[in-house]
Amino acid sequence: MNPFVLSILLLSLGLGTTLTFASSHWLLAWMGLEISTLAIIPLMAQHHHPRAVEATTKYFITQAAAAALILFASTTNAWITGQWDINFNLHAFPASLLTMALALKMGLAPVHFWLPEVLQGLDLTTGLILSTWQKLAPFILMCQIMPVNSSLITFLGIASTLVGGWGGLNQTQLRKILAYSSIAHLGWMVLVMQFNQQLALLALVIYIPMTFSTFMIFKTNSSTTMNTLAASWAKTPALTAITPLVLLSLGGLPPLSGFMPKWMILQELTKQDIPLTASVAALSALFSLYFYLRISYAMTLTISPNNLNATTPWRLQTTSSTLPLAISTTISAMLLPLAPATLALLSP
Amino acid sequence: MLKILIPTLFLLPTTWLTSSKWLWPTALTQSMLIALASLTWLNNSTDVGWATLNSYIATDPLSTPLLVLSCWLLPLMILASQNHLSSEPVNRQRMYITLLTTLQLFLILAFGATEMIMFYVMFEATLIPTLLVITRWGNQTERLNAGTYFLFYTLAGSLPLLVALLMLQNNAGTLSLLILPYTKPLLLTPFGSNIWWAACMIAFLVKMPLYGMHLWLPKAHVEAPVAGSMVLAAVLLKLGGYGMMRLMVMLEPLSKEMVYPFIVLALWGVIMTGSICLRQTDLKSLIAYSSVSHMGLVAGGILIQTPWGFTGALILMIAHGLASSALFCLANTNYERTHSRTMLLARGLQIALPLMTTWWFIASLANLALPPLPNLMGELMILTSLFNWSAWTLVLTGAGTLITAAYSLYMFLMSQRGPLPQHMLALPPSYTREHLLMALHLIPLLLIILKPALLWGWFA
Repeated sequence: MNPFVLSILLLSLGLGTTLTFASSHWLLAWMGLEISTLAIIPLMAQHHHPRAVEATTKYFITQAAAAALILFASTTNAWITGQWDINFNLHAFPASLLTMALALKMGLAPVHFWLPEVLQGLDLTTGLILSTWQKLAPFILMCQIMPVNSSLITFLGIASTLVGGWGGLNQTQLRKILAYSSIAHLGWMVLVMQFNQQLALLALVIYIPMTFSTFMIFKTNSSTTMNTLAASWAKTPALTAITPLVLLSLGGLPPLSGFMPKWMILQELTKQDIPLTASVAALSALFSLYFYLRISYAMTLTISPNNLNATTPWRLQTTSSTLPLAISTTISAMLLPLAPATLALLSP
Repeated sequence: MLKILIPTLFLLPTTWLTSSKWLWPTALTQSMLIALASLTWLNNSTDVGWATLNSYIATDPLSTPLLVLSCWLLPLMILASQNHLSSEPVNRQRMYITLLTTLQLFLILAFGATEMIMFYVMFEATLIPTLLVITRWGNQTERLNAGTYFLFYTLAGSLPLLVALLMLQNNAGTLSLLILPYTKPLLLTPFGSNIWWAACMIAFLVKMPLYGMHLWLPKAHVEAPVAGSMVLAAVLLKLGGYGMMRLMVMLEPLSKEMVYPFIVLALWGVIMTGSICLRQTDLKSLIAYSSVSHMGLVAGGILIQTPWGFTGALILMIAHGLASSALFCLANTNYERTHSRTMLLARGLQIALPLMTTWWFIASLANLALPPLPNLMGELMILTSLFNWSAWTLVLTGAGTLITAAYSLYMFLMSQRGPLPQHMLALPPSYTREHLLMALHLIPLLLIILKPALLWGWFA
């Protein structure tokens, strides 16, 4: 892609999200969402592959539907309450409508069906943008409309953690697995959002480096299926050894960073006197853990037989920068002892 | 405490910076020095019981024996793994030692923790190195299955524990072990408190493991390399017993009614797993089931909640830790020679490896609790406290002891006595390393006879 076009697209991506962050008016927030949706669409379709174009179309349709719903809900709200302010208390009906629209935008269960299909059609870099940066704007909006209908939010959260775990079990495609992992993590964030938005933000802040490392590891190995990961030990042995830690951190196993948001969220849920929801959420993490474990098995814990030539690529000098991956893997494995500092950083 | 923790941490640079030629001797020496330094914890002269106290970690008579056992086990694991890793690239050997070292680090922090959440985090943290050791260095493809079982049984048991602990914290305001016994009990609905009790206990009962939740253990033991089996039998199972003893004080009014099904399962498990041992053909599987059987007695002793029960459980945990770890090492010496775990293939070894037979003999006797070994002391105290609760338990525990004796003798006779089979040609002789390994297991066991008060826990 032409670098000028690329820079314009990336800048609009940034502009859209920032606009949504900064706005207190529903129309402006909606505009920001639309700008970032439109900016990523050429990026998604940049490889003129039928699968990519299909994914782009699916993405466009769902995002457009969600945006239309947001526009409808905010207009209804303005009609009922007479104002467009985001921070002003919403009327219950448009609030529920907005929650569902934002859930559709982020890909929360039960409106998650587009996400694995779309992610499967993208290259890993665009997929990374889709599952991190594109979540920010709807996430912030969702934080701002809290508290809304509590049982709806809890349902969205629990359904997402369960579906995110359940859906990934049967997958061998890494991008689909990552999509389901993203659904499950968003479920945790939404679950705690109504009680404590800092913790939801914490979960997002920890999720981003973890998923960044995972996407980058797969990109380094240029693998999109579980089978091709088996050759990883011959390409990047050190990275292969570290990958299980990143994956288990995504699964939320102590003492890795991924345990921190889960721990804090469970604490908040028990504090709100809903231990049953907390237990269900905690046990649903086991489903996700199963497919992370399976990737670790395929990549690190078994060594595939190989011919002599194929075992040598690790001797070659790598051309891409390894620093971002080094930083993000360290963050995603070792942050738990810094939990008090991280919490202090995020509290208002 | 830091005198042990920092040298343990520095085992990691030692492992990665020493030349490959000196890797094993250096790691062994340093870990052995750490183990010897950890013996000073046993000299606890405080009145309150808590010693070497700081904000997060401390030792008391309950945790000290287990801490010393986990420190003692690292040099033994290094000693035991040296041969079967010798064919691997040196970086993998270093990685292996690194995993064992991090495991020891987590174990020290788990047993030393004065906070239940800290204990919980470290309890879970031990899963990762163990999982990697089992699934990466195991021998058969079934090791992946074993790893999955190991991880998921433990996690499914312990995630409700996390929620239960967080509830307790919200109620009591603290989870410090020093303060918790003096806080008021958690008040819930009758049904809710029963569930809460179960959530607190089942994590540890799975880890112990209680009969019925034990299926992960034989798999993990059979598939793990020797160091994995050793640490699993000697220390990781004891995390369960230790956690139960720590939490029991908080569960006071509930436990009276709630423990019945679990005591029944534990004692029934002693008989059942003992009987499974009697018809076992796989040596490592036999030792694994014998662990389940012994830990059933420990669970019974803890659930009965008397001073004798707790003391007996602690003694049996330490004694069984050393004895079963020794048996796994012996099984590994056979495995390294015959490359099979099948008992039928490695018979009559007394003729080929006569000194090894002595070690087999002592270890089998320790396993079947011969007087005056500490194993017997532990079993007797548990049996007595159970008998005091209900005379009928003697039927189960007595039969259990008999079966234990039977399968221990079966294992000894099967592997050592009789003629040497024809296929046993050119066996390597037993190495000094192996004799040292066995001596370091069994000498502490024998020395404890002279001062069992070290293991009496709170009631010394």
